[in-house]
Order: sequence, then structure tokens, then C-alpha cells
Amino acid sequence: MTGVATTKLYVERAIGAGLLAVAALAPVIVNDYWVDVILTQVLIVGIAALSLIFLSAYGGMVSLAQTALMGIAGFILGNMVTERAPGGETKGLLLGWDPTLSLVLAILGTTVIGLIFGAVASRSLGIYFLMITLTYSVIAFYFVGQVTVVSGFSGIAGINGYTPGFIGDMVNDRYRLYYIALLVALAVYGTVRFIVRTPFGLALQGIRDEPVRMGSLGYTVPLHRTLAFGLSAFFASLAGVLLVWWQGQIAPGDIGLQTTLELLIVAVIGGLGRLEGAFIGAFAFIVINNYIRDSWLTDLLDTVGIGGSFNTIIGLIFLAIVIVSPDGLMGLWDRLWGFLRQTEGPDEPTVTPQPAGQQG
Amino acid sequence: MSHLTRRWKLLLPFGVIAVAASIVISTSLAASQAREVRVAIMTDCKGAFGFGYEPDIGGAQAAFAQYAGGKAKNPKKPSAGMTGIKVGSTSVKIVGYGCGDDTVPTAVKETRRLMEQLKADVMIGPLSGDEAVSVANYAKTHPTKTFVIGTAGSQDPTLQIAPKNVFRYHGDGAQWNAGIGEIAYKKLGWRNAAIVMDDYSFGWTSGAGIIADFCAIGGKITKRVFPPLGTTDYASYIQQLPGPDQIDGYFWVVGGTGTGASLTAFEQANGALKPSQHIGNLFFAFLGADKVVAPKVVGSYVGGFGTGPGLKTKQAKAYEAVVAKHYPGLNGGNYADGFVYNYYNAAWAFIRGLQSSAGQLGAKLQASMPKTNASGYEVSDNGIVKLDGNRQAIQDQYPLQIVKNADGSVGTVVVGYVPNVDQSFGGLFKKTSPAPGRTQPPCVKKKLPWQGKIKVVKNGVITNAVIK
Amino acid sequence: MTERLRHVDLRRLVPRLVVAGLVGFALLYVFVLATPPPEVGGNWRTTNFGSATDDWQSFFKTLLNGLTSAGLLFIVASGFSLIFGLMRVVNMAHGSFYLLGGYVAYEIQQRMTGQGFTVLGGEVNSWEWVLPALVAALSIAVVGLVVQQLFLRWNQGQELRQALITIAISVIVADQVIAHFNGGIAATVTWPGWSAKLIELPLLGFQYSLQRLIVLAFGVAVGVGLWGWLYRTRTGMVIRAGVDDRPMTSALGVNIQLTFAIAFVVGSALAAFGGVVGASQGTIAPGQDGQWLLNSLVVVIIGGMGSLLGAVAGSLLYGLVFAFSAVYLPTTGDNCCTQYSIVVTFMLLALVLAFRPQGLFGKVA
Repeated sequence: MTGVATTKLYVERAIGAGLLAVAALAPVIVNDYWVDVILTQVLIVGIAALSLIFLSAYGGMVSLAQTALMGIAGFILGNMVTERAPGGETKGLLLGWDPTLSLVLAILGTTVIGLIFGAVASRSLGIYFLMITLTYSVIAFYFVGQVTVVSGFSGIAGINGYTPGFIGDMVNDRYRLYYIALLVALAVYGTVRFIVRTPFGLALQGIRDEPVRMGSLGYTVPLHRTLAFGLSAFFASLAGVLLVWWQGQIAPGDIGLQTTLELLIVAVIGGLGRLEGAFIGAFAFIVINNYIRDSWLTDLLDTVGIGGSFNTIIGLIFLAIVIVSPDGLMGLWDRLWGFLRQTEGPDEPTVTPQPAGQQG
Repeated sequence: MSHLTRRWKLLLPFGVIAVAASIVISTSLAASQAREVRVAIMTDCKGAFGFGYEPDIGGAQAAFAQYAGGKAKNPKKPSAGMTGIKVGSTSVKIVGYGCGDDTVPTAVKETRRLMEQLKADVMIGPLSGDEAVSVANYAKTHPTKTFVIGTAGSQDPTLQIAPKNVFRYHGDGAQWNAGIGEIAYKKLGWRNAAIVMDDYSFGWTSGAGIIADFCAIGGKITKRVFPPLGTTDYASYIQQLPGPDQIDGYFWVVGGTGTGASLTAFEQANGALKPSQHIGNLFFAFLGADKVVAPKVVGSYVGGFGTGPGLKTKQAKAYEAVVAKHYPGLNGGNYADGFVYNYYNAAWAFIRGLQSSAGQLGAKLQASMPKTNASGYEVSDNGIVKLDGNRQAIQDQYPLQIVKNADGSVGTVVVGYVPNVDQSFGGLFKKTSPAPGRTQPPCVKKKLPWQGKIKVVKNGVITNAVIK
Repeated sequence: MTERLRHVDLRRLVPRLVVAGLVGFALLYVFVLATPPPEVGGNWRTTNFGSATDDWQSFFKTLLNGLTSAGLLFIVASGFSLIFGLMRVVNMAHGSFYLLGGYVAYEIQQRMTGQGFTVLGGEVNSWEWVLPALVAALSIAVVGLVVQQLFLRWNQGQELRQALITIAISVIVADQVIAHFNGGIAATVTWPGWSAKLIELPLLGFQYSLQRLIVLAFGVAVGVGLWGWLYRTRTGMVIRAGVDDRPMTSALGVNIQLTFAIAFVVGSALAAFGGVVGASQGTIAPGQDGQWLLNSLVVVIIGGMGSLLGAVAGSLLYGLVFAFSAVYLPTTGDNCCTQYSIVVTFMLLALVLAFRPQGLFGKVA
């Protein structure tokens, strides 16, 4: 490796370690609101975005179904775990099953649904794949919205009162959920990094680059894609379970078109080509979304004469990012290092190819 | 591509990040100031009720201006803010405005942003039924904060959930429709009717009030149709209704874009609308419907919103004068809209509670919240609205009729006065009873407390005559 | 005999048998098995009106409802399909054009009839509907042209990037509509007064809405117009060639950029016209942009992208299934089962995705 490339790797590792330390010590460093609302949400959205970026970076498939899968896990868990409590009005099937069993079934069920979705979509590529996964999202949204027996428009509430024993009380101890989310995020990240180096992962990347060649080499391309999709569904289901524990409620609004597109926006802002982009993008999006409300930018819109609210600002920021740097923030980072690399010049002797005529 | 353009492309996003960082720093610095009572106003700025943003904030802030010395920063734009609010010796700051979109996830996030990031102690709001259910669930786990519901019509927050720190000084969706069934039975002679309800909790709740009222006096609901939310073409659902010559009338509980679409679909299936055959809930008259839907059904009776547009009592006129003084032209001059009125009463009640508790918050404030309030359109008990044991208002209700004004525009007038409607609707809804749904409540004959006591209102004056 | 059986390919036969079985059962149910509701209760055979043989008037009403609904779907989805088929651009701002079209028409009609609230039918003449519709379609066509030239021309081939750009535009447009049009309150456009009646249908013997038939007529007109344009003009020929093989078409020296621009303009105009018709049939409000984008998506997924016949087939299937499922699903009481009508629509989608993912008339990706 060239000098700059090694430096980049070390810098990235150092930054990663630093961020991890900050994240672990967050309850001490920042206030409770930041830990409970911003950072936990960043972790949850980051895990979902990671499932999306895993598929896009290593599978070459951009999926809009991750939010739906996240929501499906949440709805399954909510329906199974809640029961009619004396003082609360929750909706759904109200099965009242054991929380641990429900947790396992929710994750398992979502992964199975992900495998089915993947099996159907695996033969399509590129933009067709995007549209088919968007259709899944539509199906899930209308299903939970209109089949009122499993949710209805108002959704299911009170879910975080029914956490499995080994997880403990989520409602009163807010740091607990933060650390669990942090652990899950690290585990998912580590798992993906591991998987992409296994034969399966390498085959997947091969399929991403040259599906026809891989097919002729004997690999079952649709099967690999389906399995990758199922894996991403598994990750998304973890995010979904964490989401309902964090929010305590889940409703069709959580998997609507807007939320689905927001997850894509998060992944694009972070960078569709690199896993770390998931958390970077989540952080940037959530912080901007949170703080842009009461800022001077909305007044700026009025003075310029355009009018509108912070949604226009978010749309403009997103537009700017897509036009200027479609690889997102991580892509920007990579390009910066590439820039440095260019100015550095070659640092290895390179063999100059001899013109054909001179060889004789 | 030249180096210059590339460098520009690299630097621009960093510029964005720098701007973002400045916003974060400036707002978090702003948040950490001297301790005073912090109030957040939660409303919708997007979605089906997004236009309620300014009317809600204006209504609440008008109360702050009138009873707590607040000064509006911009009388034409309530969301510009308000300064100088002081209740007794306690200074009050409005720290933020929630921007919901009628869905639960946004409500949860906005509530947390207002109560935890901006550290509000009190919330005035939210606007919609499902948001109020989320807020009530949140309130259960945050007992030191106080919540005064803005204008939400769901039953759960004060019946099934009913935490001690949630107050509602107006009726719920079922209460709003008290009296309309009796008017249909007596004045229009309806004996059987069909009802079309949005297939979700507010549709069922509002419909429950109509069904309970109509069936209690002897009417029969022979067909219930439930178009799902988000339907664009109502033709198939209208087809399920009996024809206009097979039934006496139709009750409509369809909101959002569906109000107009369902009526158009009805016209396309059955011919021109006969106003005497159609009764709607508040969606026919309020929330901008006077421009979209009401012109089609001039002459129809409409379920109320707990307000009395055009009522000529001294108290009503005083209320309207107060809003006109601080926010002239708010909501197009329509101060009798529940969006303005209910938020006004919520803020006013909070101010009185804070006065009683001498600036203390938490349990002390909750104990001091007034159990009665002199609301503008109340008439019974000398114009006082009372709270029941669940901190839910027992409120007078005003069925309305859609009329054409002299200038050609369409408006509503009060035609009836129903005193003291409570949330149990005469004993029908209890904490343990099933929530309003597709089959709840069943159509049963019953004696309601206000049956036969609905007074006729003519030209804004409540007469002594009873509706016959 | 055994010779023939050996050539039967089970992997292709079984799915076809499954689909045929489901469709056959559904048709049997609608035509024969369903029964009208008794006084109390009901069973799996009870529907709102019984079978088609019991009550054929209701059957034809439902059929017409489905067809007219499909007409509007076709107007909007054909634009989406055209843009996708030729330019491979998933125009996520298609719904925004629908919304803008409806609001622009509303504003123009208000200015013409000058009332500030919904105009009643009797007060609107044909010109007061046609002009708003024309202005809406043309102005949104211009908006579409601007969007295409500014944001989509220089990144041809980067499909994901283009989809993301149109997403950003749809977010901005949705917010701007709330800020500038009617304060975000719902609005409705009024049909001309003479159309507000029911006309007696000749063979069927019942009355049906003239306005819905007009919508159907518009759908057919748009279909015929598109067919004529695509199959009988030179530009249309280039577009079809571009749909089939874009690099080759461009290599043949055709001004492909001009063709793209034309296609995008036509697609946007169709979306806007659909918005005007939709606003006349109901109300238009923020939030419907997302709904109609999803409607267009479902139609092209079912019918196949880039295919006119596919857009027709997709609209028909979607519209008919939607109309029939709401009326002909079993109903044993208020709690069951017409609220599951959405599930039937999804079964249609699921079948298409499972057995023919490129859509009924789409080309294999």
C-alpha cells in the first residue's frame, strides 16, 4: 500500500476508536436528552441504514424495503407482546405472549419475510429492484394501516413496558436502551465486516460486479442475492425491535413513504459505498432535522421570498449533496484522501510499459 | 474538470457542515438560560391538519396576551413568538412550537423534542386525536410535566388512559356530536339512516356520538360503511349505501380529502345532494370545509365543535373581542373555530392554574389546575365549563346548520344548544366499556340527560323553546 | 400419451395453474357463488349485493366504477411509465406534478369565477374548466422541462442519482405547495354544470354519472392520443426505439436529448392533467402527491414499465380489483370483511411480482 493509503487507514481507525470512546462515555459527556433522543435514535437509524448500505455497497442492490422490514418487526413484536392493560388503550391483536418468545419470533418472522421479498426481487437489477422494494414498502404500509385488526392508523402503544427479562426495564432506565443499541450496532457492524470476507461475502461482491460471469462460474446468483437480502432483513429487524422499545409505540407513519425515503436520504448523506456512512449519515440527518426548526434559516427563506418551512431547507440540503457529492460524506472523505494521494506523487517504482514497437 | 471546480465541490459540503454546527451551538446555548416556567405549544404544521398551525398558536397566545401580559412579536403571524409573559411574579417563556403531521411517530418525536430538548414543563396541545393518545401515554411516564390538550377529539386520553397530569377543557369527538341525532329525528323526521365513517379511531369516536344520540331517541342505523383512510375513489363505498329513496338520511364522518371526495362520489352515484338528507360531523363546516365542502350542502345540519359561531351572549362576544384585539384576522376572522377556541381555553386554564399554584410546577400545578373555567361559548351554570373526575370537560354543545351569507359566501349558524354534555355520553362510555369501533356502540334506545332538552337557537340567541 | 407428458415443464405449469385457479375462483364467486345478505348474520358467501346473476345492475355499476377509476389511473401512470421506459428515470416528483396541476387549475378557476370558495356546478361552464386544465398542464409541462434540463440532463445513466434528485425536488415542492397555494387547505375544482347529471345507459337500463364517463373518455382519449403519437409519428418511433435500445438509437444520430425533453414534458403534462381531473373528482391536498406516486408505481409494476399496453393493463387491473374487492368481498356484519379489500389488491401485486416481476407487458430487465 502507498504511504497515503496506510495513513488513511490509521487515521480512520483512530477516529473510529475515538468515536467509540465518546459513544461509550456519552452519558457522562452530554446531557440526557442527547443520549436518550439523539444518540439512541442515531444508533437505531444507523443500524437500519447499515442494512441498506450492506446491500448497496457489497450487493449492488439499493433497497427501499428496509424501513418496511424494520416496521414489520416492530408490528409483530407489538402485536404479540401487548395485552389489554387496565389503564391503557392499546390496539392490535393483543396476544400477550412472553416477551422473550415474542422477540425471537419477531426477528425470525421478519427475516423469513425478508427472504421471501428477496426471492421475488432477486432477479431484478438496479432501478427495477429499487421500485420493487418500494412496492414492498407500499404493501406493508397499506396493510398495517387498513387491516385495523393488526394496527390501524393509530398503531400500537405501550410496547416498552413488556421487555424480556434479560434486557430489563426500558422505561425508567434510559441509559440501558442506549447501551443495548450501542452493543447491537457494534455487533452488526462487526458481523458485516466479517461476512464480507467470507466466501459468501466475496461471492456477493463478485455478483455485484459481474453477475453474468459469476453465473457462468456456477454460482446461483439469485440465491446469493436472496440470502443477502434476508441477512439485511435480519439487521433491519434488530433496528425495528430497538425502535419500538425506544418509542414505546409503532404506527403506520413509521413505515410510510416519507420515512422510507428518509432512510434512503440518511444512507446517501452518509455514503452508499461505505458502512461507516450509515452512522455518519444518521447523525447528520437527525441533528439537522432536530435543530433546523427554530433556526435562522427559515427566516432567511422568508426574506428571500421563497417561503416554506424547514422541509424546504432539508430538501435543498439533500439536493445539494446529491448533486455535489453523490457518494455522500464518506465519499467526500475518500476523495479528499485521493486528492492528497495525487499531490503526493508516486512513491513506488513503477514499470513503464514499453511501446510495442520497441520490443522487437 | 479543473482543480478549482473540484476544490469548490469539496469545500461546499464542509460549508454546509459549518453552518449546521453553528445552528446546533446557537440553539443549545439559547436553551440553557435562566430558569422560568417553560411552555411548549404542540400543533400540526403538516399533514391533514397542517393549516391549524397559526390558528392554534394564535388562540393560545391570545390568552397569554390577555391574562398574562404577553406581547405578540407579530400580530399577523402568531408563530413569530411572544415575549413578556408573566403570571403573578413568575415569568413564562414559550420555548417552542411542535410541528406534528397527525401521525403517531411524529407526535412522539415532537413531544420529546419539546419536553426534553427544549425542556418545556407544560405542553399546550396536541391537535389531533391520535397525537393525544401518544402524548397521554408519554404523560403517564412523565408525571412532573403537565399537559393541557389543545383540540384533540380522541376518547382515550381522558377515559381509558387518563393520567393525572393530562387535562382537557373541551369535549371529545363523541361529545361534539351531541344533539345532532335528535335534530335529525325530530326536525328532519329521519327514522332510519346510514352512516359513513373513516375507518380509524377518530371516525369511530365521532360516529359513536352520532349513533348514540340518534339511536337513543329511537332512530335506527341500518348500514355502516367504513372507507379506509387514504381512499382516493369512494365510488365502491358509496355503492354499498342504500339509495336516497330507500333510507331517510345519511350521516357523514369522513375527513381530510375524503369529505369532498365522498360527497362528489355520492352525487355521481345518486344525483344532486338534497341537504335535508345529509348530516355531517364537524368536517362539513370547520377546518376549511366552509370553502370546499359546505357550498355543496347548504342547508344541512352539522355536528358541532364545542363552539357557537355567531352566538350573541356577552361572554361569547367578549371572547371574540379578546382574540381580535391581539391577533386580528386570525384564522380568517373565524374565531369560533375550535382550533382557536380550544387552544385559547387550554392556555387560559393553565394561566389560572399557575396563578393558583404561585408559580410551582409538577404535582402542585396539577392540583391547582382549575376545575371550572369561564369559556366563551359556555352558557350553562352561568357560562362555566366543568371538569369531571378524569380531568375531562363537561361542555355545552351546539349543533349547527350551514347557511349562505348575504355576500354569497357560506357559513354556519348555531341552531341548537345542548347543555352539559359529558364524556360518558349519558353513561354509555365507561373506562371498562369497549372503545368506539365498527360495531361500538350498538344502536340502542336510551334516555340521555339532554334528550328533549335541546333549546332552539335563533339568530345567535338561545330561546326557551325546545327542539320538537 | 406419455411422450406428450414428458414435455410438460412443471416449473412453468404450476404457477400458471395457481394463477388460473385463483382467478377462476374469484370469477366464479363474483358471478355465481355470492349471495345477498340475509336479515341477520351471513357466511363466506354473503356479499353486499349477491352475485352478478342475482343483481346484474350492481355488477355493471361496479364494473363501470372500476373502469372509470382506471381511466384516471391511466392518465397519471402513463406519464410515469413513459418517462421511466425511455429515460430510465424513476420520477419520484411525479406525484408533485399531479399536486401542482390540481392546485394551479383551482387557482385559475377561482380567478375566473371569483368566489374564494368552492364553486357550485351550475355556475361553471365548459370553458371555465377547460382553460384551467390547459393552463395547469402547460405550466407544469414547463416546470417539468426546467427540472429535466437543470437536474436530469447531465447525469444520464446514473439512475439512482436521478431518483434521489427527484426525491429532493418532491420534498421541496410539497413544502412550497403548502406555503403558496391556499395555505395547504384542501381545494376542489368544479366540473362544468352541464355534466352534473346521471344519464340513462342504453343497454343496461340504469343511470350512471356523466362525469365519471367523461373521466373514462379522457382516459381513452389519452390512450388513443399516446398510441397515435408513439406508433404513427416520427418522434414516437424514436421514443419506442429509445425504450427498446437507447445506446443504439443515440448512436444512429438521433437527437436523443430532444426526445428525452419531449418525453419528460409530455409525462409531466399528463401528471398535471391527471391532477386537474383528480381535483374535480374529489379534493386535492398536500399528501396526495405521495399517494398518487404510489398509485402510478403500482400500475407500472403490474403492467410493466415503458409499455403503453402495460399502463392500460395495469390501470384496468388495479382499478377493477379495487372496485370489486370493496363491494364483492364477503360481509358477515360490520366487522368483516370488506376492510380487507387492500389485501386483495396486494395479492394481485404479489402474484405479478412472483410470477412475472417485469410486469405483464414489460420487458425482462
